[in-house]
Amino acid sequence: MKHRERVVVTGMGVVAPTGVGVARFAASLRAGRSGIGPITAFDPGGLDCRIAAEVPPDAVDVTRWVRPPKAAKTMSRAALFAVAAAGMARTQAGLGEDDHDPERLGVALGIGGMGATDPDLVHVQAEAVIDATRRSDGGRVDGPAITRAYRARTNPVNVLRGLPNLAAAHVAIQNEARGPSASIATACSAGTQAIGAGLRMIQNGEADLVLAGGADATVNPVSVLGFDLLGTLSHRNREPERASRPFDRDRDGFVIGEGSAVVLLERESHARARRANPLVVIAGFGTTCDAWRITDERPDAAGAVGAIRRCLEEAGAGPRDVGYVNAHGTGTRMNDAIETMAMKGAFGTLARKIPLSSTKSMIGHLLAAAGAVELVATIIAIRENFLPPTTNLERADPECDLDYVPNVARMASVDAALSQSFGFGGQNACLLVSRW
Amino acid sequence: MDSHESRELIKRVVAEVLVAPPESVHDDTALVGELGAESIDFLDLVFRLEQSIGVRIPIERWDQYVRAHVTDRDGIDRITPAFVQAFVSEIVQAEEAEGGARGRMG
Repeated sequence: MKHRERVVVTGMGVVAPTGVGVARFAASLRAGRSGIGPITAFDPGGLDCRIAAEVPPDAVDVTRWVRPPKAAKTMSRAALFAVAAAGMARTQAGLGEDDHDPERLGVALGIGGMGATDPDLVHVQAEAVIDATRRSDGGRVDGPAITRAYRARTNPVNVLRGLPNLAAAHVAIQNEARGPSASIATACSAGTQAIGAGLRMIQNGEADLVLAGGADATVNPVSVLGFDLLGTLSHRNREPERASRPFDRDRDGFVIGEGSAVVLLERESHARARRANPLVVIAGFGTTCDAWRITDERPDAAGAVGAIRRCLEEAGAGPRDVGYVNAHGTGTRMNDAIETMAMKGAFGTLARKIPLSSTKSMIGHLLAAAGAVELVATIIAIRENFLPPTTNLERADPECDLDYVPNVARMASVDAALSQSFGFGGQNACLLVSRW
Repeated sequence: MDSHESRELIKRVVAEVLVAPPESVHDDTALVGELGAESIDFLDLVFRLEQSIGVRIPIERWDQYVRAHVTDRDGIDRITPAFVQAFVSEIVQAEEAEGGARGRMG
């Protein structure tokens, strides 16, 4: 074990398709409840994938979390989720106004690229094209006319919502976090990497506390079409609740989800000084890049194995110390097979004995928020003594032959658990959490 | 639109832009000092005024108007719904004069 001061989590907040707030989210993990249904945010007719894991309308109370109310104008849906999750984390941590130095409070958020597509702007762009085409001769496409029509319809406020770092900026403004601010855009590993970045800020002495997590909200036509064109989405539209089936033989891709989770990371001595209650310790963080292909993982899973090893090494932990792994487990054919191989590479013969479950089976794939929401699920597993299930695991796949905690939650007392994420572009990231 | 209608319209737009209760917006309410307006809110305001009066307002026209009338730091609180209305009527008059000139040329 390195001689560095420990970093603890003193608060958590979550906005998930299966529940807003940690208590509701935990209850649905325990019950194995699905948050996946037909897309309601827009009319998905014309798309092959018409299902998603949406956060219900009005589930986030803007008046409670956003001050002043007009600040919400420049918040994307993802930013609003992040602000709400950060507010919940801060509330649970009991962080006041005078018990910390604002310049020692940082922010690290995983943010999505495709989430920058603001739904209002998509509509404005479409209207501009239609309008400009209607006015021109014989339906000819007239570039400058489109630009003029777009100019006349576009509120500058909506442009601002698309700035990728605005979620972190809003979290900072709402919490007077005047320390370092990082926005991390490593696709599906962004949430995990942002929490790792927050851990490093504290370890490096740049901050005493960091609001760290991820946020994404991409249930819009452009993003759903985009991920579908990449061949990653499930088309099981008739059975939304059965569509996300990680490690199952009949899996056919992931289901897009939206939401956010933010944890308050805190230097242990700082938490003690203000008499906060640490929930868990962040014992290690490991990250690597495959440096191989954009969407293919290394066939020998070496990148993922490297991230797991680095994470355990930092924690001074061995394979025997890990009692549970929250999988990346997307439900794509490739991810689940390679992740299974990575477990064997990192844990050897112990791999078959370590429960590995994918909460994406219930909450969908929250993309840049996935790692953060899954870290919260991992912390819940340790603190509430149950392992969330992989639901919809009905037929075994010979390539996926580990203990995936199929279909029902399992009572278990675990002292340390790993949460892992792998993103397009080859980024691999793991966090090890241990009981405080 | 008479000046009463235009005054009410501007107060309504200001309330929308600053997400303030309509009854808290009066002719002399300071947008910055009392309602917390920041620079993005003025872009939003000018956009919504364009939409509601149907006249294009380049943002630099607003900036010039503010620079001409707010010359000291404290003067920022002179930006009120009444101030915005004076700006809008200047824009509308300029637009009408231009339209009239075009008409004469035609």
